[in-house]
Formats: sequence, structure tokens, C-alpha cells
Amino acid sequence: MRSRKETLKRNSSGQLLIVAALAIALLISSTTTYVYEVTRVTDNAPSSPASNLALAMKQTTRNAMISSLANASNGGAISVLASNLAELSEAVSHLSQFGICSLAGTILNESGYASGVRLEWGASGLGASSAYANFTLQVHGEASKMTMRFQINVTTSIAINGSYVTLGSGEKNVSLICYVGNDGLPSLAESLRVFYYDAGNWTQAGALNGLAVKDRGDGTYSVSFTVAVADPVQVSVQAIDSQGIFVRADITCPAS
Amino acid sequence: MRRENRGQIRVIEAFLAVLIIFSAFTVSANLTVSQNRPPRIDLASVGTEALMTLDSDGTLGYYIANGNWTALREALSLVLPIGTTFNLTVYDEYTQRISEAAVSNGGFNSQDICFVEYVCASRNPVFSSYIVHLELAVAS
Repeated sequence: MRSRKETLKRNSSGQLLIVAALAIALLISSTTTYVYEVTRVTDNAPSSPASNLALAMKQTTRNAMISSLANASNGGAISVLASNLAELSEAVSHLSQFGICSLAGTILNESGYASGVRLEWGASGLGASSAYANFTLQVHGEASKMTMRFQINVTTSIAINGSYVTLGSGEKNVSLICYVGNDGLPSLAESLRVFYYDAGNWTQAGALNGLAVKDRGDGTYSVSFTVAVADPVQVSVQAIDSQGIFVRADITCPAS
Repeated sequence: MRRENRGQIRVIEAFLAVLIIFSAFTVSANLTVSQNRPPRIDLASVGTEALMTLDSDGTLGYYIANGNWTALREALSLVLPIGTTFNLTVYDEYTQRISEAAVSNGGFNSQDICFVEYVCASRNPVFSSYIVHLELAVAS
């Protein structure tokens, strides 16, 4: 009986070898296939062409808003934003790569905005030039249908703070700290002009006033100059940021 | 007879076992090799990103507005991957062609040409919008 069992064991050892080999082969194949599939999905993850268009359109509308705000803040009509967005919509309607495209811009007429533009150049030392619009991008194509809504807000702001010291000659030395920001981030001022109020007129401070402007590199500018004016000392700072947007703020400087 | 054949059967079984494992390795190796192929470049995304990079600070609109096609070609050559050939055409918002000269860095010698359409808005206070057509191919 025992020898028969041993014989059976010995006879089936070859089949066990094949079964074991099959199991090992299965493990190897399945592991490799799994790893391959996982990495393949990552590699071939396609970027949707329509999503590319959406990203590009956000960039384009932002540029259009910057252009409009630069125009309006530099003395142009505030209706320029509406007309520029209409022109942009016309251009978008000619896109045909993904199907029929349309871009509709709705300008904001509330919260201080008129025709999508807000120019708040206050006497409290704060000033802001801002443009705001809501957009709806629609793509109707065979391969892709998409509707995307987004808002674009472009804001350039200025904040000034300062005081003056009366010199022995009776002149007043004014020191100001100006901060220029764009969308909440420090911005480079391409142009910074300082004015003081004298005898009913705004006069630009210059070399005769010993005007010194120091760029601190973080959107902050130190300004100092000397004037011979009576109290109160009223100062206005006008800046044009790196995008060409004009902003202004006025302040009445206290004696320090 | 059976006892005489037993040795041969053992050899055949062992051979089969080796064959099975070897074939598993062969299949796995093929999968790995096919995966090691360089990933196919999504030219449409590359082209859109290149145009967006140039447009992010208004450079694209500035070059187009000034008709500076040489600078535009050089800028595109810089932002596109090496070995990419391109041909760029600019139209106004009414699809009238603006770019008279071909903004290109050479002829296409590939049949796999990708097309990218982009709307560019200038940042200039005097607003202009343009439709940019960019054809791209990987130089073979």
C-alpha cells in the first residue's frame, strides 16, 4: 500500500512541476501586465483639445480686459470694454477647429462698476483701476461640446502713506511710501509721477523739489521731495503699471 | 516499456515547464519593450502652450501688431521643442490674412501635421484681435 502511494507520488511529480510552472508564469504575466497597464494610462492620458481652447480663451480675454482698462484709465471712454469684447467675440466666432465657437462677455454694472470699469481714485491714499466681466464660452462640434463660464477681473491698485517735516527754511520735506499692486500682487510701476497742491493747482514735483524715488523691488516705492506750501500738504501720486494701466491716489499728509 | 519511457516523460515535462516560464518571460519582455517607446508628443497641446507662453505677457500681440515676423519666428523657435517645424499664419478678426511673409522655420517633411487655432488679443490700449493658425510637425 505504502509503496503504491510512493509510486503514485513519484509518477505525478512531473505534472506538479508543470502546474507550478504554469502558476509562476501566470504570476509573472499578470504582474507585468498590471504594471504595464497602470503606466500606460498615465502616459497616454490625452489632454482634451477643448480644454486647451478654454485655457487659451482665458488668456485672450484677460489680455482684452487689460487693453480696455489701459485705454479707459488713460482717459478713454469706459464703453471701450464693451466694444473690445464685441470685437473679440467676432474673432472667436470665426474659429472652426473644434466646431462652432461663441464667446459672450457680460460686463458688470454694479458694485462701483460702470460698463465693467471701476476707476476709484480716492483722496484717502487708496486708488484702484479695475475691469470685470463674466464670460460664457460655447463650443459645438462633432467631437466636443462644451460650455464654460468664467470671470476675469483685472485690478491695478495704489496705496500711499506719508507725512512731512517742516525744515528750518520753512519748506516742508514730504516723505511718502507708495505701493503699486496688480491683482493683489506687487507690480512694477513703469511711470510714477508725484504732484502737490499749491495755490489751487496740482503741480508736478521734479528735480527742483529734490524729488527722489527709490524702488524697493517689491512694488513699494519711497518718495521724498521738498515744497514750500501752506498747510495742509496735499499730495497726489499717479502711476502707470507694467501693463499700461493708469491709477492715482491722493492724500493729505500730516506733520510728523 | 513504461519504466523505459518514464525518463523521457520526465524530460518532456521538465521541458514543458521551462517552456511555460520562458514564454511568460518573453511576453513580459515584449510588453516592457513596447512601453519603452518614446511617448507620442501631443503637438496640439505643445503648440497651444507655446502660443499661450508668448501671449502671457502680451509679446505675441505686440509682434503681430508691429508686423515683426522675424522676432515672432525666433520667439516661436525658442518656445517650441527642438526638432519641431512650424508654419504660422495670422488673420484679423474678419479672417483677412495679415502676415504676408511666411512665419516658418522650414518645410514639413512629415505627414503627421498638427493644426492649432488661437485667438490673440493685444494688450495695447488700441485694441486688436487676431486669429493665429499654427501648423506643427516633428522633423523626421
